[in-house]
Amino acid sequence: MDTPNNYAIEVKDLTVGYGSTVLMKNLNFTVNNGEIFVILGGSGCGKSSLLKNLFGLYQPLGGDVLIEGQNITTAQGAERQKIMTSFGVMYQQGALFGSMNLLDNVTLFMQEYTELTESQMNLLARCKLDLVGLLPYESYMPSEISGGMQKRAAIARAMALDPKILFLDEPSAGLDPITSADLDSTIQDLSKNLGITFVIVSHELASIYAIADKVIMLDKGAKGIIAEGDPKVLRDTSKDPRVHQFFNRIMSKDAA
Amino acid sequence: MPIITESSSGGSPVAKWIAVDSENAKVILTGKVNVYSLGNTWTQVREQQDAWLKNSSGNHSLIFDASQVGSLDGAGIAFLIGVEEAQQKSGGTFNLVGLDARYQPLLKEFDPITNLFPVPVEKPKRSFIVSTGMATQNLIEDAKGLITFTGHLADDLFWSLRNPKQVRWGDFVDAAVQAGIAALPIVGLVSFLIGVILSFQAAIGMKQFGAVSFVGPLAALGIVREMGPLITAILLAGRSSAAFAAEIGTMTVNSEVDALVSGGLSPIRFLVVPRVLAGILVMPVLTMFADIVSIFASMVTMLAYGIPFINFYNGMLSAVGLEDIFSGLIKATLFGVVVSAVGCLRGMQTGTGAAAVGISATRAVVSSIVMIVMVDGIFAFISYKTGF
Repeated sequence: MDTPNNYAIEVKDLTVGYGSTVLMKNLNFTVNNGEIFVILGGSGCGKSSLLKNLFGLYQPLGGDVLIEGQNITTAQGAERQKIMTSFGVMYQQGALFGSMNLLDNVTLFMQEYTELTESQMNLLARCKLDLVGLLPYESYMPSEISGGMQKRAAIARAMALDPKILFLDEPSAGLDPITSADLDSTIQDLSKNLGITFVIVSHELASIYAIADKVIMLDKGAKGIIAEGDPKVLRDTSKDPRVHQFFNRIMSKDAA
Repeated sequence: MPIITESSSGGSPVAKWIAVDSENAKVILTGKVNVYSLGNTWTQVREQQDAWLKNSSGNHSLIFDASQVGSLDGAGIAFLIGVEEAQQKSGGTFNLVGLDARYQPLLKEFDPITNLFPVPVEKPKRSFIVSTGMATQNLIEDAKGLITFTGHLADDLFWSLRNPKQVRWGDFVDAAVQAGIAALPIVGLVSFLIGVILSFQAAIGMKQFGAVSFVGPLAALGIVREMGPLITAILLAGRSSAAFAAEIGTMTVNSEVDALVSGGLSPIRFLVVPRVLAGILVMPVLTMFADIVSIFASMVTMLAYGIPFINFYNGMLSAVGLEDIFSGLIKATLFGVVVSAVGCLRGMQTGTGAAAVGISATRAVVSSIVMIVMVDGIFAFISYKTGF
């Protein structure tokens, strides 16, 4: 049995939902350090909700989430803030601060948490924007760039404090294939070389095959995990029709 | 004898600066380098480097030894790039030795590093004449927008008279409830206080002439013709005009208004007409309510001055005619049109982003109040000329 510290994230008996609506029941899984972990599932099965429970934005209906061995569901005050700064989050819609340009969006958290000077923060922020290919747009406002660019800028902002864990909610949806491939290779570089753990919600099969070390597949009907492991292995060997259908892009009416 | 300086503070990485001579220097970086611990070290190394570069001329060669670095993050890489760029800019050379192989691909991502140091662009300053011209143009554009909007609105209001079945009555009811019934407590409170204050202030003055009995008729006339509609309209501007602007503004930001246009629907017919109709219905009703509460407050106040209810009532009947009440209500209806239409207009003029919605709500309240005063002035002039 591993000690909790060996995992980036450990989920124990997690129940996800709102009020009396239960989306997921008794989830158990672990994410290793430096792993690219992908959460899959059909629309509306609660992937984004699960993600928000993992990084502590919503309080789960039951169970615990341990981030680097620390329980985020029970942590309060300074302890909670410390856990919150150990990861970065990219929201589905980008959620950039509309009143700031891209560079200021990236430096905001640095201003609050580090002792870097302004020019140091600017250089660091430019590095982050360069990683997502947005260096020429540093002085643009979020409303002046396209939706795909806003997403990439949001990834740059999530990386601002070089967190050990990055949560990305559908990072490649709405990106063109080339940008999407660039983003995949950036994610792999960061994971391999800096040991950053990625937890990604995604539908893009091509991207999942390219980068995922491990996937879990959620199902609305089962209210839980129906498959877990390497995506290519699941594609080729899974006997579960729901999993087979998803990985091989088979229409629902043909599957039955 | 080389000069050795160490830069560190509790828990931070240590950078040992070894100035071999005026042309050669070496930095040895040790420890765990991350965005939280790096601040001081980065600043100190760069200061030493700048001093070294400044003090002598010639070919500066800096060796950066990273072989003893425990771990490095993105900020550490930015630090290396910062030192390298300073060397390049001064014409010197930079040799990075001993950096762990796993960090090499990340460093390569930023090649060539000159891209990370853009030349700052100064924004050209606008002259007084240009900025005045642009302000004037904005004013003209704004007036144009107002006139066009008024035209469209009038057109669509007539259209809805001819096609009453196609008006969105559900939205109308919602807006009327929000702007009307929900406003009753605040309208009641404010008009009660205004009634008390108005008659109390008047009574203080009138008492000196022994004419306290005239305060009732005077206050009632003032309330019915002027104060009632005005107070109600200003409250409606603060509550509902701002609400309409924020609501439609958020829809504009979310491209919901664009979705109506591209679906072939007129956003004015769809969004503005129900709200303006609600304003037209709600304003006279609220004004009547405000009139009654204010006059009642005035009656209660005059009781304190020894004027019985019946005297107040008879005095009021002799001073206030039906035409005074109608004049106030017609004015209130006009205010209702103006306040709700201006709120919707400002909402539709919303730019992009969350801040734009706030600006629209502010502009809606300010423009509504300005328009109320203008309409009131025009109405007073017409009243005076026609005697109505």
